[in-house]
Amino acid sequence: MRSTLLASTVLACAGWGFGVPSNSTVSAVEAATKPSTTPEARKEPIAGTTLEIELVKVPGSADGSIKPLWVARTETLWDWQDICIYKRDQKDGASGNAAADACTRPTKPYTAADRGFGHGGFPAVSISFDSAKAFCEWLSAKTGRRYRLPTVAERQHLCARSGITADTMKDHAWTFENAKDATRKAGSLKADASGLHDLYGNVREWCVAPDGTGVLMGGGYEDKASEIACDTALPNTEDWNASDPQFPKSIWWLADGPWAGFRIVCEE
Amino acid sequence: MIEHAPVDRRTFIQGVAASAAVMAAPGVLAAGRRAEALRVGVIGCGGRGTGAAFNALEAAEATKGAVRIVALGDLFPERVEGARKGLAEKGEMGTVAEKNCFTGFDAYKGVIATDCDVVILATPPGFRPGHFQAAIAAGKHVFMEKPVAVDAPGVRTVLAAAADAERRKLSVVAGTQRRHEQCYLEAMERIHRGDLGKVVGARCFWNQQGLWDVEPRADRSDMENQVRNWLYHAWLSGDHVVEQHVHNIDVVNWAFQAVPERCVATGGRQSRTQTKYGHIYDHFACDFTYPGNRFALSMARQQEGTDGRVQEFIHGSDGVAELSSGSAAILGAKAWKFAGKQRNPYVQEHIDLQSSIRGGAYLNEGKRIAESTLCAIMIRMAAYRGKEITWEQAMNDTEDLMPKVLQFGPNPQAPVAIPGQGA
Repeated sequence: MRSTLLASTVLACAGWGFGVPSNSTVSAVEAATKPSTTPEARKEPIAGTTLEIELVKVPGSADGSIKPLWVARTETLWDWQDICIYKRDQKDGASGNAAADACTRPTKPYTAADRGFGHGGFPAVSISFDSAKAFCEWLSAKTGRRYRLPTVAERQHLCARSGITADTMKDHAWTFENAKDATRKAGSLKADASGLHDLYGNVREWCVAPDGTGVLMGGGYEDKASEIACDTALPNTEDWNASDPQFPKSIWWLADGPWAGFRIVCEE
Repeated sequence: MIEHAPVDRRTFIQGVAASAAVMAAPGVLAAGRRAEALRVGVIGCGGRGTGAAFNALEAAEATKGAVRIVALGDLFPERVEGARKGLAEKGEMGTVAEKNCFTGFDAYKGVIATDCDVVILATPPGFRPGHFQAAIAAGKHVFMEKPVAVDAPGVRTVLAAAADAERRKLSVVAGTQRRHEQCYLEAMERIHRGDLGKVVGARCFWNQQGLWDVEPRADRSDMENQVRNWLYHAWLSGDHVVEQHVHNIDVVNWAFQAVPERCVATGGRQSRTQTKYGHIYDHFACDFTYPGNRFALSMARQQEGTDGRVQEFIHGSDGVAELSSGSAAILGAKAWKFAGKQRNPYVQEHIDLQSSIRGGAYLNEGKRIAESTLCAIMIRMAAYRGKEITWEQAMNDTEDLMPKVLQFGPNPQAPVAIPGQGA
């Protein structure tokens, strides 16, 4: 009855359908790897909208090098991204807060950046590293909490804790084998041991390398499951925006990066 | 150095045509010149025109040919300066002498009067017919962005100039880059050889969210505000259905190897109603009838918060082809999926143009892009007027959207069209 559940959730959450009943954060996790303890989760509303971002608390590493972290349960949705780009939090003359209004927001794309894969409830794609960072800065200003992209080390920590193996990948990840050449609704497969969805598949996720540059990690809907290593980092390259026909090329949108998305983390 | 003298487009075009006829060069470069650099002038130095200049240089690099950008023209000085600075990054091939930089409504004349071999036409589409006519009259090869007109008089001007180009073997490539994109080329080969069976219908879409805008300012004239915010004024863009959706209709025409006989269309303006959005619509839907009782659904939307889809579907008796930038597949008896590598189509179109100019396969896409442009204009006519429009009606239509005089000053905005209440 997964599809029924999804449909009703979408309606109830005004388009924010990632397939987890709004009053429960446990069912998807139980359906997955049955961790010994229930992950701690919370919801952060985006002021001026009806949207919430669900965060899962992930414990730090045993050696203390990775601090405990609140991680978005899903990849960043178009629903959230649209608020930032199209200033949908300022409808009907209502203003956002001054700090958020002062943030540089990505420009509107020249074409359908969602590639027709799906929009409401789907992970944002075609997103550049700068765009992903700008979203975090805007959301931080908007909410007063510190959101950012995960570091490579944090990402590797999430992968190590995921409990996902080559044998169970198909239950967790939208890949070449099951995604049919498009992203799928975020969170529509089983969560991993930490309570996170789509860590391995659907879209590749921007992370920050030790030198501050952006790298894409994890697999996307076009990648073969056998070739997805959760902790492999692809360095940012101009090839991902080679066919942007404008000069200067967009710093916000990747014309050739239909699998480029991101997941946010919060330190508090 | 903006020129404020009023210019009547019909008069000056005739003047250019008359003087250029004497000095027109033969279309194919003489043998001794084939090894020399092709000299390119750019008319319209916004993001796309400058981008196209880079693509022309990248095409030369990819083919070990030689190309130089030698002249720049734009209505606005800062656009010329931005392009000049940007292109200078390419070194000598992108370095343009100051004397070859032109601004104002007449900038195109300055560019055409230089010794360039090729011009890139990338101003807002409303100016294209006059610029194309002048370029061909002066014996230039042309790369022109789509669409190539915003009204039927403009389409007729382009058709006449394209025929002139054909006679003189001047090469013409249009910025419908799908025609130069490998996945589309392979898909069309399969469609035309019958892999879908009999082609019976099509659906095509350019649905996206909102686009850029330049907020009108009180210290600027109507004319300046409109040209800077050109998407939202039909005399400049043709409306978004012409400006963008022409790509998808061009693909349907390509698949059908025909142009439509008639269309009915609807459209309106619901979410983009503020003053800064001019008078154009934000959504259209159209039903085309093609020869042989074949039909095509076409849809174009620019509304924030809506699902995106930029794609064409070609339906046959034995299958359907699904086409979009970077991917193509056939579902059905002869299933296929494009798995090859392809070159950036925005570069490939310049490789193909440069090859044609240097004596390779001759390319003149002028007639074809004029016809595809007219198809998109038919949608706007049918939607704005609330009437069925036949191909002949569209082709012979007399509505001329261009202001009578081009100068910075008053230029009242067209009203929002209400179907059934207009011309």
